[in-house]
Amino acid sequence: MFIVDDILVKPFVSVLDILHTMALNEMYDTAAIRDDLKENQLLYEVGERSEATYEERKQELELQLEMAEQIQSQMSGRIEVKS
Amino acid sequence: MSDNLYTYGIIDDEDITLDADGVAGATDIYTVSYRSLAAVVSDIDTTDPDRTDPAVEAHNDVLQQIIEYDGGRTVVPMSFGMAFKNARTLKGVLRGARPALRSALNDIEGTVELGVKVLTSDEDALAETAVQSEITDMLNSVSINETENDLFSDRLILNKSYLVDREERSAFDDAIDDVKEEYGEHVTVQYTGPWPPYNFVDIHIGAEQQHGGR
Repeated sequence: MFIVDDILVKPFVSVLDILHTMALNEMYDTAAIRDDLKENQLLYEVGERSEATYEERKQELELQLEMAEQIQSQMSGRIEVKS
Repeated sequence: MSDNLYTYGIIDDEDITLDADGVAGATDIYTVSYRSLAAVVSDIDTTDPDRTDPAVEAHNDVLQQIIEYDGGRTVVPMSFGMAFKNARTLKGVLRGARPALRSALNDIEGTVELGVKVLTSDEDALAETAVQSEITDMLNSVSINETENDLFSDRLILNKSYLVDREERSAFDDAIDDVKEEYGEHVTVQYTGPWPPYNFVDIHIGAEQQHGGR
């Protein structure tokens, strides 16, 4: 539905572009990565995750977040996908 | 040397000094008074401190010490990063925000915030809604107010902050023990605090007030 809307509104943006942007949005969903960071912290605090696993996961997620923020800021304003 | 002051929170006017690890390596925590209010502060050499994990931890630790100071103090917590040019600027802000701060202090007088998170284990197919509402009922009866926080993990079935009268603290502890006893096989309970009542005061001190002075 939104694709049809977008195609009507923005005839010069291809369906492929929109799908590509949606995929990137999902892959670089900063809110979801922040939630994962909070979950990692919580599982460590309640003793379900060892310090080593917690630190490793934290570093991994922080990297992902940094990358996602960069990608999101580069993408912003290029193509807007309504959901 | 800079006159900048980092602010942790606001209490009823009182002269307090603490030896504690504050933000940006500060070790002397003291108060700056304005009429019936006092700001809990430490010296700092910037008005824009870096938000690092240790700095946020130091901010929270100082607030924790204030709420437990000498039998307990009521504090309106500032969010991390509120640093002012000097005492004069800070007092100017306190003057502007005084009605809101006074009313917040009255609202939370004699209370603390306690945090409760309840997680299900991965395998458990629990009747989540029923458990949520039963736990909520058990904790509501011993608290003044509650706020619902984000369920940021699929494992979380409850994430709430409770405003509890200091006098009722042990009753709340008992209620948590009851929850653990009743549901401990199926859930993990994380019980934290006491915290300053972050989730029960809503005061915004704008950037203009913060840096501009008067």
